[in-house]
Amino acid sequence: MLVFAASDKGGTGRSVTSANLAYQRALLGDHVAYVDFDFGSPTAAAVFDVPGAIRGIQENGLHSYLEGETNEPAKIDVWRQTEHPVLRNRPNQAGRLVLFPGNISGGEFATDDDTLERCVDLLLRLNTEFDLIVVDLSAGRSYAMDMVLAATAHPRMRHVPFRWLVFHRWTRQHVIAAAGLVHKDHGILDCGAGHGHDREALRGHIRFVRAAVPDPESPLWSQVTPAQAAWMQACDEALRRLASDNRIGDSVVLGIVPLEPILQWREQLITEEDVLSKQIANKETLEALEEIARRLTDDACWGRP
Amino acid sequence: MTEAVFRETAAEPRTQAVPLAHLSLELGHLYMEDFEAGPERLRRHFAQVVHWAEAVRGSTAAATGKRPRISTCFLIDDYFTRFSTPRELVPQLLEEAERAGLSIDYLARESGCAVADGAQVAEAVAGRLVESPPPGAYGARPPAGQTGWLANGERSPVARTPQAMKKAIPWQAPRETAARQHSVFLDVELWSERPGGGKLWSCPFLAAVWQLARLGLLRHEGQAVLTPRPHEGPFPDDWDEMPPLLQLQERAAPFAAYRTCSVLPNRFMPVEHAVRVVLDQTEVDPGALQQVAARSAGEGAAVPASVADRISYVFYAGQ
Amino acid sequence: MSPRESRDHDQGAGAVLLCGEVRTCLLPAHQALDVRAAAQLLRLRADERVLVSERPNLYARSPDALTGVDCPLPSASGAKVRAVGTVAARGALTEGRVLQTSARLSLTARGPDHRQPWGHYLVRPGLLEPFGRLPREAVAEGVLAGARRGELDVGLIADGLLTRLLRHPLLDQRPPFKSRPTRLRWTALTAGPGTDRPVIERLTLAEDELRTLALRVPSGADPAEVAALCEDLALHDWLLTTLVRLLDGSRLGSADGTAVVRALRPAVDHLLHLWMPRARLDPAFAALWDALEERPGFTRQWEALVRRIRDQLALHAIPALHQEAVMAP
Repeated sequence: MLVFAASDKGGTGRSVTSANLAYQRALLGDHVAYVDFDFGSPTAAAVFDVPGAIRGIQENGLHSYLEGETNEPAKIDVWRQTEHPVLRNRPNQAGRLVLFPGNISGGEFATDDDTLERCVDLLLRLNTEFDLIVVDLSAGRSYAMDMVLAATAHPRMRHVPFRWLVFHRWTRQHVIAAAGLVHKDHGILDCGAGHGHDREALRGHIRFVRAAVPDPESPLWSQVTPAQAAWMQACDEALRRLASDNRIGDSVVLGIVPLEPILQWREQLITEEDVLSKQIANKETLEALEEIARRLTDDACWGRP
Repeated sequence: MTEAVFRETAAEPRTQAVPLAHLSLELGHLYMEDFEAGPERLRRHFAQVVHWAEAVRGSTAAATGKRPRISTCFLIDDYFTRFSTPRELVPQLLEEAERAGLSIDYLARESGCAVADGAQVAEAVAGRLVESPPPGAYGARPPAGQTGWLANGERSPVARTPQAMKKAIPWQAPRETAARQHSVFLDVELWSERPGGGKLWSCPFLAAVWQLARLGLLRHEGQAVLTPRPHEGPFPDDWDEMPPLLQLQERAAPFAAYRTCSVLPNRFMPVEHAVRVVLDQTEVDPGALQQVAARSAGEGAAVPASVADRISYVFYAGQ
Repeated sequence: MSPRESRDHDQGAGAVLLCGEVRTCLLPAHQALDVRAAAQLLRLRADERVLVSERPNLYARSPDALTGVDCPLPSASGAKVRAVGTVAARGALTEGRVLQTSARLSLTARGPDHRQPWGHYLVRPGLLEPFGRLPREAVAEGVLAGARRGELDVGLIADGLLTRLLRHPLLDQRPPFKSRPTRLRWTALTAGPGTDRPVIERLTLAEDELRTLALRVPSGADPAEVAALCEDLALHDWLLTTLVRLLDGSRLGSADGTAVVRALRPAVDHLLHLWMPRARLDPAFAALWDALEERPGFTRQWEALVRRIRDQLALHAIPALHQEAVMAP
């Protein structure tokens, strides 16, 4: 299955969260590919802590592959090549976790028919090999987004299931922007329909992930005054209404990731060790990620019986 | 044991041999505009050709050192435009040739170079194109024939939109791969898409197929294609009912030959340059190639290894 | 002997180094292809037949497709040797299920120090001529180590053909199970007149997808036959690798019997009947299998895996008994 990670604005934690989802699925035994289509800012290597492995990838990353300059995009076996001390010990029964990085200092580029065919080739090949393929897209309306919408509508891809995760922060601006990215002019649905997707079917394949959501119950906020607590509660209510009015209410939310310093600052994978022995990450965060990872393939969460 | 079974059940490539003359001499092409210009045009054409044909016969006899086997042929376009009928046109054509003292041994229809007797002849040749690699080609370029164009060198890079914030590449000159100092770069359109789907083969590409047919180098699954059929009875009313290659003279030398020569007005020059570009990059059937090489060597008339070097022309001034 | 083969043979006579690469993968189609569909898939040229064979197993092979190259050769010594010529590539499908593409080339000991007209190379399909003398040991090592960017990359040519075949509309892109493609890169140095039989010098499982094979073959060996040996090895190595991975992912011993059955079922449906080493090899090359059967023991490992799968399936086919056994104190 393909999972596209999208967001309208930067700073939603889209890359780091989707990388964590990939990691969680691999821990469950799935073979997982993480494909960095964030062409303007290809930085997934940092999340997986593979900076050394990435250095050789000036020339044969996904930019080069899609532009036809190389036929085989570079790939990095995360368990083997990470410099993260915990990840290096691939847990027993874990599936493969493979990163397909962009070129270092690659930029956004225009796509054409040839790029599209190559994109389809790549996604189909990954589909024969991996249980889950997480594709991280540039923020906003981008060439990458247009390309994958065209690719998933391509006749050769007709049997490959796909799902979309749209990440947004829990603020007024982000809620409006995320809804706009999906529902408004030249958004995912518009653009997808233009490429031949059935609009309603495509809508059914899209879920939202609210990121960096402050949880008033969390110990982080235990020191707030009653007035502050009431205000936070009211804000939260107002945001829920706003989200629902914009058709991105609770029924289409796949999960909520709490505000988590380690995701915000370090932008890395959260391991059990970070929670248990180092205690630098919150248990709730890890649980939220595990739950979203599980729901990725739980049809009940995608409006299917 | 298993090997023997495999050899029997598998369709082992076997190559049928074809009879070969020393030279295939082409006395002309006929297109609709020639036909519309009236019989005088044909008359003028043959009046020119007869002198050159004589010279070519003489030169071939000198090169082979004996009485060479030479067959003549003539090609009529029924592919790009359909005009007249065989019943009306062919007798007229033969009459004009005879008036000039020329005899046409074989008559071919151009559409036979696209499809002959159910065999996709042009498609097959397109599948045998092997692009000459420009220096630096290490295997990453896609094989020929995906674009419908074939060049004799490296094209100017396409000015595609560069990655954001990267500089666009400035214009670069195309380069002929076999250039000496300076290039004569040629890019040949092999086919275009027909409005209803399918390929419309270009005139130079069909002309290259025509040359391969005359050189006895076309095969379909090892079988000879575009083999001549004897002419019987009156000429039909529909081009489709005429065999793609018709033998008009019973005692003619074989249609296919070690070498070819075509006598054409010089407006055909660009087309024939393109033919050379195509032939230079066509891997012809190796079995056929070997048969021709062996037979010609056995007769003391060895052919050049390169197929494109087996063809020659006389271009005369005129229409 | 067909003209094509005898011609290859002639070229082999001038060659001192043969090399190539084989890509092997599961055909991404829900149903295995029958003979006719296989022939359609592999019809690279409109005028050449696809070789098909139904004994001892279903097998189809495309005609050769050539790619022209003009570039430096990879070399372990760092010597920059330019070579020009064509690389031959073909595709093959075994039992309508396992797809392979294989690219190969032969190198002559020496060649003219400037490029010839292209027609010169076209009449020598699959042959590359170096500019000057060929440092053949260094190049053989360089090929196995992998080409750097800009150097001759025979794997790219095999991959290009694979991409072309995988785009065929006959394929519905629904592979019945997840599997990984493998690549086998090989070289064969020709031995002097004293040697009359081919030898495997080294077979390495380099990374988890790459295998390298160093051979020594009698001078004049037919490159197409050497490639056929490598394709046969690559096929069976892929089968072993894939079966090992299926077993790895099946979590044997876990109590969830249906999960185990689900994981192992594809092996029975699609793989177990494919094991047939040296099915259609030249006898001289078929003999090389004996060494591999001795060590590492390809067929021995295969049979052990097959037994394990059958035992597992048999075990889970009797759920009642199984549960009792689990529940018993």
